[in-house]
Amino acid sequence: MNEQTVSRGEATLRWVLMLLASAVVLGPLLWQLSTALKGPGESTTGFLSGLVPSDPTLDNFTTAFTQIPLAGYLANSAGIAALGVTTNLLLATLTGYALARIPFRGRNLYMAALLATAALPFEVILVSTLLVTRNLGLQDTLLGVVLPQAVSITSIFVMRQAFRAIPDELEEAATIDGAGPVRTFLGIMLPNVKGSLAVVTVLGFLDSWDHFIWPLVVLSSPDKYPVNVGVQYLSGAFSADQRVISAAALVVIVPPLLVYLLLQRHVFSGLAGGALKG
Amino acid sequence: MIAARHRWYVPLLFVGPILVVQCTFLFTPLVNTFVLAFTNASTVGGGRFTGLDNFTTLFADAEFWAAVGRTFLYALITVPLIVAISTSLAILVNTSLRGSAIVRSLLFSPMVMPLATVAVMFQFVLRSDGLANQLLRGLHVISDPLPFLTSSHLALISLTLVTVWRGCALATLITLAALQNVSREQDEAARIDGAGWLRRTWSVTLPQVRGTTVLVAVLTSISALRVFTEPYVMTGGGPGDATETIVLYLFEKGVAPGTQAGYASAISLVLFVFVLAAAAVTWGASRRRAA
Repeated sequence: MNEQTVSRGEATLRWVLMLLASAVVLGPLLWQLSTALKGPGESTTGFLSGLVPSDPTLDNFTTAFTQIPLAGYLANSAGIAALGVTTNLLLATLTGYALARIPFRGRNLYMAALLATAALPFEVILVSTLLVTRNLGLQDTLLGVVLPQAVSITSIFVMRQAFRAIPDELEEAATIDGAGPVRTFLGIMLPNVKGSLAVVTVLGFLDSWDHFIWPLVVLSSPDKYPVNVGVQYLSGAFSADQRVISAAALVVIVPPLLVYLLLQRHVFSGLAGGALKG
Repeated sequence: MIAARHRWYVPLLFVGPILVVQCTFLFTPLVNTFVLAFTNASTVGGGRFTGLDNFTTLFADAEFWAAVGRTFLYALITVPLIVAISTSLAILVNTSLRGSAIVRSLLFSPMVMPLATVAVMFQFVLRSDGLANQLLRGLHVISDPLPFLTSSHLALISLTLVTVWRGCALATLITLAALQNVSREQDEAARIDGAGWLRRTWSVTLPQVRGTTVLVAVLTSISALRVFTEPYVMTGGGPGDATETIVLYLFEKGVAPGTQAGYASAISLVLFVFVLAAAAVTWGASRRRAA
């Protein structure tokens, strides 16, 4: 990063532009917040003067939880996220370990296949995946939502990188001590990749919170929708109150935003390690 | 690495689970897509081999090609915008000014916001009495509200706003990561030679992150061709068919029970070809410019 001292003019220009960019990002969110905090008597359509609610109220948030099934959607999302993070951790760890440290016939071929499928957009197999899921009796179920997107290629490559970084001596020492492959994996290897497990957990959560087209397609009962699908479903209803939907939308955005703000380091190293170096 | 010898079943313990999942939910559907594309199967089953019928119909399907045209227009708008804006933003925040870390966190934050919910939010922003019209009218740029989402001329362009607003976050992050790895020596040398800031940025710094710029362009092109959430949530493909994209058309043709799984599979394959071609073209174009 830039270490040299910056001239006053450059600093001012950078600050003005950075504030402008920040305003473009923050503007829609703050307007949304302002709408969500307004009571039914206050207009949401006035210019700037109406940006700060004159009589802020949390009623819209209460309504979102009591009169529209936001709590149910949140519970569905939490279930999907919990299962999705679990399958990501399990599959990425096992697969990443095999790709990094267990030689087997066809390993290079399988690596190539993985990279090739990373270029396959999910929408291309959407219709057939729906047919498979239906034939397995998993349509409209939690498993049906999670299994087709059970593991991301990024997670696999994050774990592969992590296991590759462990020195061979550690594995050799374990083998000399008589540990089998499973015990080596569980007792020696896993404790050494805790950081990467955290990365996969964070990425898995963010991914599952964002998934849209698949849950929309595979779930036929609206009461099973995750928040992302549920809020847009409600926003389409004729009776939708903009203030309440705004409040609900903010509730949907806050969990991933908090995870990101508190765990930025993990998000970044995951994206850099998996998506770019993989 | 010294290859430890393992019993034959050991690799299977580790790759077995993923193979089961992928055979069921990746390889089977992929093969099935290729098979179904040559049948007249419906989504509730049945169907017999019909050769190239689906493709003949598809190539003469005016609604499909209109959707293809819109989708490519969408890519032509969003890709250059995202590449240009995110590169500029990355250069802007690549500084150690006090407080710039907060700005960086803020600029990256839209990438974690669920796209469908962002689209709901922008649906309000772009309404006739929404934030965008409030601002434009308050600043006296326009006198009558712009029909962002209700005009068939404007709707598709309005949707790109959402894609760009959210897409710039990840693109800026990727570009900034590359900029931070650029060595300062060449920049220093150019400065001593008397090159100005703009000249140094354009001719010295940016060429060193060209690979990353290409990556951003390829990723953005692919996601533009797959666009679904923005039109589905904000316009439902309307007004009329004004914002119906390839995936939206695919969704209409092959998802509801009783619709044409065979025909939709043919659409899927054409989409796949477009995605691969777009990636290849973006890649190739950038290579030629570099040479």
